[in-house]
Amino acid sequence: MAGSTDDNVLVRVENLVKYFPVKAGGFIRHTVGQVHAVDDVSLVVERGKTLGLVGETGSGKSTLARCVAGLIPPTSGKVIFDGKDITKLSRGAMRPLRREVQMIFQDPYSSLNPRRRVGAIIGDPFTIHKTATGAERKRKVQELMERVGLNPEHYNRFPAEFSGGQRQRIGVARALALRPKLIICDEPVSALDVSIQAQVLNLLADLQQEYGLSYLFIAHDLEVVRHVSDKVAVMYLGRIGEAAPADALYERPRHPYTVALLSAAPAADPDAAAARQRVILVGDVPSPIDPPAGCRFHPRCPKAEDICGRVEPPLVPDDEAGQPANDGQSAADASQPGAAVPGGSLHVTACHFPVVPGERLVSAGGAGAMKGEPS
Amino acid sequence: MTLTNIDVSAATAEPEAKTVEGRSQWQLTWRRLRADKVSTIALVVIVIMVVLAIIAPVFAAITGHPVDQAYPITGENASGNPVPPGTNGFLLGTDSTGRDLLVRILYGARISLFVGIVSTGIAAVLGVAIGLMAGYFGGFIDTILARFTDAVLAFPYVLLAIALAAVFGPSLTLIMVMVTFFSWAGIARIVRGQTLSIKEKEYIEAARSLGAGPFRIMFVDILPNLLAPVLVIATLYIPNAIVFESTLSFLGLGIQPPTPSWGNMLADASNFYQVAWWYLLFPALFLLITTLAFNLLGDGIRDAMDPRTERLILARRMRKRREKAAKEALAAAGPGSGPGSGPTTPDTVREPFGG
Repeated sequence: MAGSTDDNVLVRVENLVKYFPVKAGGFIRHTVGQVHAVDDVSLVVERGKTLGLVGETGSGKSTLARCVAGLIPPTSGKVIFDGKDITKLSRGAMRPLRREVQMIFQDPYSSLNPRRRVGAIIGDPFTIHKTATGAERKRKVQELMERVGLNPEHYNRFPAEFSGGQRQRIGVARALALRPKLIICDEPVSALDVSIQAQVLNLLADLQQEYGLSYLFIAHDLEVVRHVSDKVAVMYLGRIGEAAPADALYERPRHPYTVALLSAAPAADPDAAAARQRVILVGDVPSPIDPPAGCRFHPRCPKAEDICGRVEPPLVPDDEAGQPANDGQSAADASQPGAAVPGGSLHVTACHFPVVPGERLVSAGGAGAMKGEPS
Repeated sequence: MTLTNIDVSAATAEPEAKTVEGRSQWQLTWRRLRADKVSTIALVVIVIMVVLAIIAPVFAAITGHPVDQAYPITGENASGNPVPPGTNGFLLGTDSTGRDLLVRILYGARISLFVGIVSTGIAAVLGVAIGLMAGYFGGFIDTILARFTDAVLAFPYVLLAIALAAVFGPSLTLIMVMVTFFSWAGIARIVRGQTLSIKEKEYIEAARSLGAGPFRIMFVDILPNLLAPVLVIATLYIPNAIVFESTLSFLGLGIQPPTPSWGNMLADASNFYQVAWWYLLFPALFLLITTLAFNLLGDGIRDAMDPRTERLILARRMRKRREKAAKEALAAAGPGSGPGSGPTTPDTVREPFGG
């Protein structure tokens, strides 16, 4: 893992903000509020690496992904892809860049047009970008189908004739067609059976090695994210709360939200499940139309104090917060620009009172921490 | 980076035939339509009607009765009234001026079917184009189109027809323009609604992320999903158009005599029904059967496109077979043995739900 110099960075997201207006009806529709879907998020995706993005439903993961893919224009902020700011590009200027960034969608049922044959769906990228026609296109499509583990003879079938896993392979083949540099995976396996999930994840990993792809991998399944990601960022209510190299984040989570999230993930081993600390959050995620002041997590945070409701904690590397950076490379990389950005090599946390290893979190409900060591 | 390295190729490889042809939605729909007796009959009736309309001149040649030829001697009785069916080679009798009624009805079918199918076809193309644009682009275009559509749907069309016929003089072109004008709006409204829901689908987003432009998305990605509802509504609009044409012709604002049309024949027949029931009955019967067939076919297509109804049909069929089997079992067991004791269990004829 080299430092995050700009040569290594494929995508740099700078202070990205996306608000959706909330309209009220009546005679004249007017904006009565804003959904703060993504609020001042910066991150980097390194070349050939995978950045995992986790968070609850409604935390803004998918909105962020669509901004990076250029599907929706951000309210403010920049998305710099391969040195070019793509947020200000017109549709025409965006066209060549479409070949570099592709998406794999969550729902393999709604992401494939039910009325079109698989060959036409996978061949679309070639048709749209006029890179191959006729027999050549068919050959390329069949190569792709073979590559992702589909029977090329099924070229003429309709999506309805495939299983969920096969459909997701079709989606992968379509995304792969133009040999993109970045593939944004928006919960690519959450709609699939667990056994099929592993197949698709293995396929994605193989393709990454083969073609040097970078992934922005969005999921709410923590184990899946850990398995595929080099770096992981945790989102809550449109902000990134914590980001670190995958192992560091899972072994030494520092944001109370991350700790709670990890403790909520089911463990396969019943002994481990019984032994670990369960942090039960009270209340619901606040409305993104009117997010809490200060730290967005403070109304639910077991460690929240006065300052949390007033001052927004910045994302800082852990050594600055008074904790030693003990994942080896951090000290060396700390001088590199961009290392402290989520997706970089440092463990960054936006919390006034980060969790120290070994610390027990008291559940906000007052029930007290469960027995056992934090995992 | 390896969780469980399941062999991907082995998991999906299927030992199957070389060429695998996908079964399209249309093939499935066709199959379900064929399974529905009412729709099949309606389709056959329509096909027969179209063929009869096309071969109307051939028919006139065979009978030797040109469409506008009056037969004062053989076609009218002593008091100058129409002759009944079967008289002097007039299969359905004659009309008020002694012309062959059957030949005229078949020529009338040409007009009715032409107006119905062609006008509705034009209206469908217009409605799809306008509804697609309104639904896809939304905003200002949508507002304008939606208001215009509402205005058209709210218009008293018979009144407008009377006014226009008075100004421009009645003609076939005018009828077709009128039918088209009053049909496209309903189609556009349905297409708009469908487009609104389809454009939120992920596959549209996928197309956009591939760099597809709005027109490609509209015509390549959305349009194929619209064809089914448009086909249904167009089929249901054809009889409306036919009835509209007949209404105008009946009122004397449409097809003008001596050109035959079911509408103007009915208008003329209404003066003669006391002496010539066939003159009123047969054109009305043709009109009724044709519109009914189109309506039933439209309903049938709608049911055939909706996979849920297949289950209903299957369930009905299953129930019938079960009843039959139970009856046979009862008969085989003879009187005295209780129900359900027969050897034939209904399970053997059970069909899987939803294929």
